[in-house]
Amino acid sequence: MTTATAVLDAHGLTKTFDGHVVLKGLDLQVGDGEFISVMGPSGSGKSTLLYNISGMDTMTAGEVRFEGRDLGALSQKELARLRLTTMGFIFQHVHLLKNLSLLDNVVLPAYLAGLAPRTELDSRAMALMARTGVDELADRDVSEASGGQLQRIGICRALINHPKILLGDEPTGALDSVAAAEIMDILGELNAEGTTIMLVTHDTRVAARTDRVLYMIDGRIVGDRNQGPYTGAGLDQRHAELTEWLMELAG
Amino acid sequence: MRLGVRHTPDLPPDEDRPDAPRPNERETGPHHGRDRGGERRSPRTGLYGRMVARDFARNRSVTVVLVVLMMLSVLLATASTGTLVRLIGASSSLMERADAPHVVQMHAGDYDEQQLERWVEQRSDVAHHQTMLTVGIDGADLSFDGEDQTTSIQQNSLVVPNAERDLLLDLTNEPITQVAPGTIVLPVIYAVQDGLEVGQSVRIDAADGFSKEFSIAGFARDSIMNPAVASSKRLAVSPDDLAEVREHTGEVEYLMEFWLRDPDTQLAGFQKDYLDADMPRVGQMVDSATFRTLTMIGDGMVAAVVILVALLLLVVGALCLRFSFLTAAEQDYREIGVLKAIGVAARDIRRMYLTKYALLAGVASVLGLVGGLALTPLLTRNITQYMGSTSSVWSWLLPILAALAVFGALVLFVVVLLRRFDRISAVTALSAGATGDQSGATRLRLRRSRMPVHLRLGVMDVVGRWPTYLLLFFVFAVSTFIMIVPVNSATTASAPDFIHYMGIGPVDLRVDLDHADDTSSDQFGEAVDQLVADPDVTALATMITTRNATVDSEGNASSLYIENGDHTRLPLIYADGRAPSSGSEIALSLLALNESGRDVGDTLPVEVDGQVRDLAIVGSYQDITRGGKTAKASLPTEGEEVMWYVVGIDLVPDANAAEVSQVYAEQLAPGTIADIDHWREQTLGPTARLLTVAAVVAALVAVSLAVLMTALFTRMLVARDTGQIAIQRAIGADDAGLRRQYLTRMLLVLVLGVIVGTVAANTLGETLFNLMFEVMFGGFEALMQGTSRIDFAVAPTLAYVLLPAVFLVAVTAATVASSRAISAADISSLTTE
Ligand SMILES: Nc1ncnc2c1ncn2[C@@H]1O[C@H](COP(=O)(O)OP(=O)(O)OP(=O)(O)O)[C@@H](O)[C@H]1O
Ligand SMILES: [Mg+2]
Repeated sequence: MTTATAVLDAHGLTKTFDGHVVLKGLDLQVGDGEFISVMGPSGSGKSTLLYNISGMDTMTAGEVRFEGRDLGALSQKELARLRLTTMGFIFQHVHLLKNLSLLDNVVLPAYLAGLAPRTELDSRAMALMARTGVDELADRDVSEASGGQLQRIGICRALINHPKILLGDEPTGALDSVAAAEIMDILGELNAEGTTIMLVTHDTRVAARTDRVLYMIDGRIVGDRNQGPYTGAGLDQRHAELTEWLMELAG
Repeated sequence: MRLGVRHTPDLPPDEDRPDAPRPNERETGPHHGRDRGGERRSPRTGLYGRMVARDFARNRSVTVVLVVLMMLSVLLATASTGTLVRLIGASSSLMERADAPHVVQMHAGDYDEQQLERWVEQRSDVAHHQTMLTVGIDGADLSFDGEDQTTSIQQNSLVVPNAERDLLLDLTNEPITQVAPGTIVLPVIYAVQDGLEVGQSVRIDAADGFSKEFSIAGFARDSIMNPAVASSKRLAVSPDDLAEVREHTGEVEYLMEFWLRDPDTQLAGFQKDYLDADMPRVGQMVDSATFRTLTMIGDGMVAAVVILVALLLLVVGALCLRFSFLTAAEQDYREIGVLKAIGVAARDIRRMYLTKYALLAGVASVLGLVGGLALTPLLTRNITQYMGSTSSVWSWLLPILAALAVFGALVLFVVVLLRRFDRISAVTALSAGATGDQSGATRLRLRRSRMPVHLRLGVMDVVGRWPTYLLLFFVFAVSTFIMIVPVNSATTASAPDFIHYMGIGPVDLRVDLDHADDTSSDQFGEAVDQLVADPDVTALATMITTRNATVDSEGNASSLYIENGDHTRLPLIYADGRAPSSGSEIALSLLALNESGRDVGDTLPVEVDGQVRDLAIVGSYQDITRGGKTAKASLPTEGEEVMWYVVGIDLVPDANAAEVSQVYAEQLAPGTIADIDHWREQTLGPTARLLTVAAVVAALVAVSLAVLMTALFTRMLVARDTGQIAIQRAIGADDAGLRRQYLTRMLLVLVLGVIVGTVAANTLGETLFNLMFEVMFGGFEALMQGTSRIDFAVAPTLAYVLLPAVFLVAVTAATVASSRAISAADISSLTTE
């Protein structure tokens, strides 16, 4: 499903590390409310793409517009504010702050943004944790939770400020298929509520649940498949079609 | 199905899984390094070399600071040892070259020469004896290069230089035995302090109109009256000139000089016998120990302070060494694991670290030694001017030994650290790369806090990982201490209230008159009568000091200077007890009390009017004048041996102290009348000035130390926390906020450090200051005997506001400047780690 209003609009996005070109002039439009997955072999630049469109990393060349604002023209402070209030990020390796409790990790972005009274932010965090099934762990240390639980905490943190867009770098990578399916259910609900979502994944079962699949090789988007919203039925069918498409691309 | 090929298993990095065990860390059984050690030698050294080289590159700033700290510590240890050695050497050599007498009895007025000679002849302990004639010139009659000496506290006397013993030495330490007519040789202090030069004039004007001008022919080092703190000065002229001046003006005083065969054992006995034998003694008696102490006080103090700073730096250096070692060990964790896994013995790994740190300490020590040796001449410039320079093997050897000692201490410290090495790696193996210094139990929570987020996060970090901040805390506390103690010492010694410790109450003017002969008491009496009638004078405390016999703690006869008068007028502050209020009471200076072996409340047998009276000791007070051993009582002075007179004078509020002094100055000559602040300044000036210099130097050292360590520490923290910073940046924390977190940490630790340092400075530092005074005035026997009980006179704005503010600004600047790396912490660099 593509809508006319693009939340995100990238043109000629290029990223170079020490002369090594990782993103080679990408063009990408993400519409409001889309649920996109990004696939591709390891090292093809998927994570780098996410970092660059969210302004976490500075691109070498090209232009990225988020809701019409040119990221390149924003100051470091404005970029930080933009990420804080309109983007949610789920990392490949979760990346929680190890000196904070799990709940503190979730409330941190909310406190940083300071958009509501802290008691309200606390209860919002508890509600999110309850929804993802980790509310029992609120006062635990980062070292006292399983990988799947940490990943959910990461999702709660990404959602705490009601982001316009949710960017996920293999949010289910460390999870078994049951846990992954649960996470995908949650993300599906969020998307249904209007959050734009873009996920990097290696898992075709995960990708099969999204509206649109991008395929990257060597810093370029070589495939862009619109497979329509997943309604909860016919997953095996979608999976089979997607796999076939991927086989063709990989070649 | 999964697409995309992963070459490595997708393990989460340490950031997220602090409890994940790492595969390679345990010592593996089958291959033990030593079995095949020989074969592996060269690749292994290569590996070690690479590890060490990379460690330097990775922790460049840490390494540099570490080397600088160790170097400074060695440098100061070297310089202070060198200074002390030279000081002791120069003063001994001066006394030796000048052949300084062992005992000098000053005597004003005439005496029976025959009687003295006869007495000396029958003494087997006297090796030599000579008498020197001095002609005291009143300050009002004397001017140096047109500068009137009325207000000078120095008592200048003309002498004809001796030819054989008690020599005056020129600036090359050659004896001055002759002075050409019309010229004069001044003590070197006038060249150093007043900037007088050869060729300038010295003028003596007598009351009868006589006037004589001398041209300064040179400057002399005087082994017994050299330092500023000794108030008598000998000015050498030709015999004819002396005779001429003597006809018109001057107070004749003789110096009875004695050389003993074995001064170490005979000094005390001789002094007592001399006094008992009723030999000429209208004046002070001083001995070589006193000359030596007076000579060494100032520079000795500076050297002591430098030694103290060197020790503190050594401690800071050791802590920094520990921090750097732990950081490096943590960073090398994987490599150590690999080494252990391939079977290298822990001993070899330890040796690698030891080599690395010994190398650093060695480089630092060599640099410090060279610097210290270069610095010594600067520190000893004063010594060189007053006493000449000496160079013996010791002045090279001891500093080198000091440097070696510091180096040895550092290496030993590394060895101790390395002993903990195995345990550390075991702990870290369990908690996988974590520093092991976070504790969940005491951790604060972000939730529900009302503080600004970054402030809160900063506080949480310090509380949660407090052991990490101990080093910094210690540095701040120490910096504060080494800044505040000298500052407080200096303000104390220059404070008007310091007068309380000089055996006199808070008066406006002070009269000092030494008893010379019967005319002295008349002179004194007349002056007092006139003062009583003076409308400008509101209160008067007249004191007549007598020398009375008493006993010391061992029951030996000794003598005590007792100041007699009404001590309830213009009272001073008593350390214990109160002023004596009747003829049966006495108050002792702390030093005298210590010497008597008694306490306040006991009695002291004192011979008064030929009879022994047991006086009740009702009080004790601090006195650093006249050798510090004094007493206060209200005993009859008639028929006693009077030593000197003192009058404390209070003036009406709007009286001009200088004008009043002027009125009496002439009348009291050769005694002095001085504004009390002026007198205090003159008496304590050199010490106070030295302390001020020490305070400025210490403040600079302290602030530099704090800045250096803050910069170093911030860098290390930011480097260590890169991952955590990157995460916060990724979720939307801006750099300014992150910097605030670091600032909060530093300032929190700073505030704690400053508080602890300030408290320590006012307790421990005050004790230290008093110990210094005890040694200065009572010698080492008086150390720790409570003979000095000076309270710090703190200048609150300076010590509690200004200096901490300087710290605050310096530390803030250092933190901000060193936390720039925050902006470089990117999530993408974290992922590829
Ligand atoms: N900070 C960096 N410095 C240098 N090279 C980098 C950096 N970050 C990424 N790269 C390189 O850029 C390329 C793309 O990396 P990226 O992490 O985007 O791949 P990816 O598609 O996310 O792979 P994976 O599926 O394994 O996560 C890789 O070759 C990687 O080595
Ligand atoms: Mg990736």
